[in-house]
Amino acid sequence: MVPGAGDDVGDAMVEPPSRRRFLTNIWAGLGVVALLQFLAGAAFFLTSGRKRTGKKSAPLLEAGLVGDFPTGSVTLIRKGNLYLTRLEDGGFLAISKKCTHLGCAVPWMAERKQFECPCHASIFDITGDVIKAPAPRALDLYPVTINRDMITIDTSNPLRRSGFTPEQVIYPEERG
Amino acid sequence: MSSSLFLHFRPRRVPKDALRFTLTWGLGGMAALMIVQQLLTGLLLGFFYEPVPVRAYESVQHIQNSIFLGDLVRSMHHWTGHFLVVVIALHLLRIFFNGAFYPPRRRNWLVGLAMGVLILTANFSGYLLPWDQLSYWAVTIATSMLSYVPLIGSSLQEIMRGGPEVGAATLQLFYSIHTTFVPVSLFLLMGYHFWFVRKAGGILVPKRKQSGETEKSTSVPAIPELLVREMAFAALVTCCILLFSMFIDAPLGNMANPELTPPTVKAPWYFLGAQELLLHVPPIFAICFLPLSIGLFLTLLPFTRQKDGKPTTLIKTLFITGALFMLILTITGIWFRGQGMTLVMPW
Repeated sequence: MVPGAGDDVGDAMVEPPSRRRFLTNIWAGLGVVALLQFLAGAAFFLTSGRKRTGKKSAPLLEAGLVGDFPTGSVTLIRKGNLYLTRLEDGGFLAISKKCTHLGCAVPWMAERKQFECPCHASIFDITGDVIKAPAPRALDLYPVTINRDMITIDTSNPLRRSGFTPEQVIYPEERG
Repeated sequence: MSSSLFLHFRPRRVPKDALRFTLTWGLGGMAALMIVQQLLTGLLLGFFYEPVPVRAYESVQHIQNSIFLGDLVRSMHHWTGHFLVVVIALHLLRIFFNGAFYPPRRRNWLVGLAMGVLILTANFSGYLLPWDQLSYWAVTIATSMLSYVPLIGSSLQEIMRGGPEVGAATLQLFYSIHTTFVPVSLFLLMGYHFWFVRKAGGILVPKRKQSGETEKSTSVPAIPELLVREMAFAALVTCCILLFSMFIDAPLGNMANPELTPPTVKAPWYFLGAQELLLHVPPIFAICFLPLSIGLFLTLLPFTRQKDGKPTTLIKTLFITGALFMLILTITGIWFRGQGMTLVMPW
């Protein structure tokens, strides 16, 4: 007899494997619990590290004065990896450089007045709206504020949009 | 002593039929050999490689230009990584057509699939490490494909990149996966894979229809019959890889520049099927439905009904159609897509 098997001797004698099976199941269960603990711990370990390193410095970017940007122009703002577009009517749009299809950097083709993605040939107009697929939606926008002629772009989170609407354009103060 | 070590991996006697080269085409053994080679060349590269942006590119240049045999070691690691994907795909085909995934080999088929995923992971994570334009943008494109997964897409993408963009965190993540997670898991599963082949009574020898019983019972000693064949084949494969790597250097483009996408950039070739599909069908189908259904099909395969130890005609048709479909898409993506993904002729 197994030492320490005192009180349920009867059961053990009738069905010897059941207690062993019970103990084995406990072991297996404990193993699963230990595994889950490890996985949860590892997940927290990895995600907490990500937050610390993922922090970005200064999300507010001062692009320049309104007068620096001629109408109908597209200027690459290197620091924020985005374009500042000034439309013919004087309004501003801060357009992300990242293609909405698969994330390639989209260059501005000044001679054809459009953004052309080198990866899969998506084409966008000056407002970032899609002219040619496969891009599924217009280029992302960054919020622009104009205060006393100084253009400030919030680069912390790009805004997704399906297409261009006139409400997206920000105008300098005198136009109200 | 070395012979008794060999006999821990191999039975003492093997059926003569199992030695036939056209039975296995040496594919499983070739994959194992290549994995060991990757471990060795990777170990060497690891002594000089620095997994930090800018330094990564410079250290690869250093390996390439200043280290004795550095370019050869890097080329071998690079090309073997690509060949390995082809070899395991062929290995999978061979196992499928021999029906060597039904019980008692069902569990081993699943282990093999897991190893296949690991090898793709190794290959993909290694893609980023040189930190040149191709690796940066190919990984950007491939991880961007994840953002099309419904609901969890953008979080998945951020987990894969270790942040919103491909950068230092991505490089460190890919480096750890490439040099620790994959090799350790792969070697554990390899042990299991080999052990399970023996446990199932050696490799599957399909019954020949006309042959009598006498032929089936002939067996030969594993040493030297099997050993010599395996060694000779391993030498031949190693020789081919060496020659290939001597004459064709692993490519290294300009250093990664997150501001400028080069004119022709594609995802790694084994993802080009999915990328090609992405041009023709809604993203949810190409990125989500297709990989899930391939995975599900392959996982459930050993649970399907069999006919004389072979898959039924329906399963075979499904499998062949799917494989051909992916092959055509991949070939189109690799050779028939030029700048801006326009259709071009490769010649």
